[in-house]
Amino acid sequence: MTSWTLLSPWAISFALFGLFPFVFSLAASFSDYSPIHSGHTRWVGLSNYGRALTDPAFWGALGNTAFFVLGTIPFTTALALLLALAVQPAFRGRTLFRVGFFVPSVVSIVVLSLVFKGLYAPDGPLNAVLRALGLRTPAWLLDPATALPAIMAMDVWSASGYYMVIFLAGLEAIPRDLYDAARLEGATGWDCLTSITLPLLRPTLLFVLVVNTVRSLQIFAEVFVMTRGGPLHRTTTVVYYLYEEAFYRFNLGYACAVAYLLFLLTLVLAEVQLRLVGKPAEAAR
Amino acid sequence: MRSEAPARGGEAAAIPPAWSRSALRWLWLGPVLLTMLVPFAWMLAVSLAPVSGGSFARALSAGLTLEHYRALFLVAPIGTYLANSALVAAAVVGLNVATAAMVGYVLGRRRVPGEKFWTLGIVATLMLPKQVLMVPLYLVMSRLHLIDTYGALILPFAVDAFSIFLVRQYVIGLPHELEEAARVDGASDWAIFRDIMLPLMKPVLAVVAIQSFLANWNSFLYPLIFVDSDRLRTLPVGLALLSQTEHSVDWGFLMAGSTLASLPVLAVFAAFQRQILSGVLAGAEK
Repeated sequence: MTSWTLLSPWAISFALFGLFPFVFSLAASFSDYSPIHSGHTRWVGLSNYGRALTDPAFWGALGNTAFFVLGTIPFTTALALLLALAVQPAFRGRTLFRVGFFVPSVVSIVVLSLVFKGLYAPDGPLNAVLRALGLRTPAWLLDPATALPAIMAMDVWSASGYYMVIFLAGLEAIPRDLYDAARLEGATGWDCLTSITLPLLRPTLLFVLVVNTVRSLQIFAEVFVMTRGGPLHRTTTVVYYLYEEAFYRFNLGYACAVAYLLFLLTLVLAEVQLRLVGKPAEAAR
Repeated sequence: MRSEAPARGGEAAAIPPAWSRSALRWLWLGPVLLTMLVPFAWMLAVSLAPVSGGSFARALSAGLTLEHYRALFLVAPIGTYLANSALVAAAVVGLNVATAAMVGYVLGRRRVPGEKFWTLGIVATLMLPKQVLMVPLYLVMSRLHLIDTYGALILPFAVDAFSIFLVRQYVIGLPHELEEAARVDGASDWAIFRDIMLPLMKPVLAVVAIQSFLANWNSFLYPLIFVDSDRLRTLPVGLALLSQTEHSVDWGFLMAGSTLASLPVLAVFAAFQRQILSGVLAGAEK
């Protein structure tokens, strides 16, 4: 009796704000629902999905998102791993670095985006430094060629410390006596890294990749604050496109279809990473 | 982090590490740390500089002023945004801690039939990308007449799957003896939960409170779409929208707002860095 009472908040919240919206949006994705003509909603079958898959704007957003994911995750992962390896062994001031690298992870993305918008301003501090060095000074967020890479650079900068902490957890879980035994056998530091640390870190690596991919597929606040999807739609991500379709053009049925396509893409990518990087049983632990 | 077992921290745990080895690490980690912190230094410097020029040198040469902070409260309803953020965060943190304690305890002690099924539901919610539900959630909220109310900012976030999962994992690791002794003495289920389990769960509930404070204080997308009127806006949304008005290149003003929005989370981080990092680690172990 008491147990069910204690469980009920989650059951209600899950039904109302999780399961129901999830199922409802599947149904809505087969309709032309829009608050503009809410009395006349019709079933339109698969035509929302057809429209998305033939719309250059959707493919553009998908391309930008893919570029973002492929262009940030290798760098974020490598930097996070490198930093974790660097701050794992004891040295003076280790805590300062561990904590300092994590600071961007606790600050609001809106704040980070505003700060970087200021740093990237054409007459801002970044260009002042470049000018002093005699280098080219791009317009960064205002230039279609550099806007998306500029946002991606901020993402690598802000996310690395978070994944560093996750790698640290993986590193601390590796039994020390493995290293002691290897040392006795005459293994070098490099041998230990490639044949003990990296193989045993595989479940952590998988976790970092999946979590970061799911997060990167949903980039939104950065785009909203820094570029509003421009210039020339070159920073319009899938979620930003979804937001504009739903809340500026009020194509709610269509937006639901786009959301489902994004959801399917997320599942497929997570599955591909599970197959390539590790066994699911390992990751679950 | 600071108090972790020295035995696992590396070979140099017993003897303090040599200065020479530490210096070598400082040499290349120092610039990386500087890169991480320079943007925040710029934010603070510009927010305190009398001229909005944008560069460090100009910002620092002309002395300091609180003028931009004053402008935030005079020109913009930043006080309202701040109060809304605080109110919503307090409500969400409170509800999160309460519901995570209840649900996490039940699942951790397997006190309901079908515990596997419920846990699976929670893990599924964790995996689901939240943004994907923005349209249907908006429709649910508008059907419940909650759009443009505090309810929209609080209720959908009152129960959090990640918090429940953290508590469940923690409860599984707690010993059963105290509960069993109390049960033999005839204590009711509710008394056992309130008088025995709650005090034992304090450490994990602290982690839940801090995590949900950080997440809620910084949340953006849902407060953006669930609220239309200015008097209900939270700080990140208010700041983002202010940056797209005539203030768009008023860097002193925007950085003062950014500093104001960061101070609470930085203070919480400084005070509770151990719990925050352990919350991240617990997430990695799921």
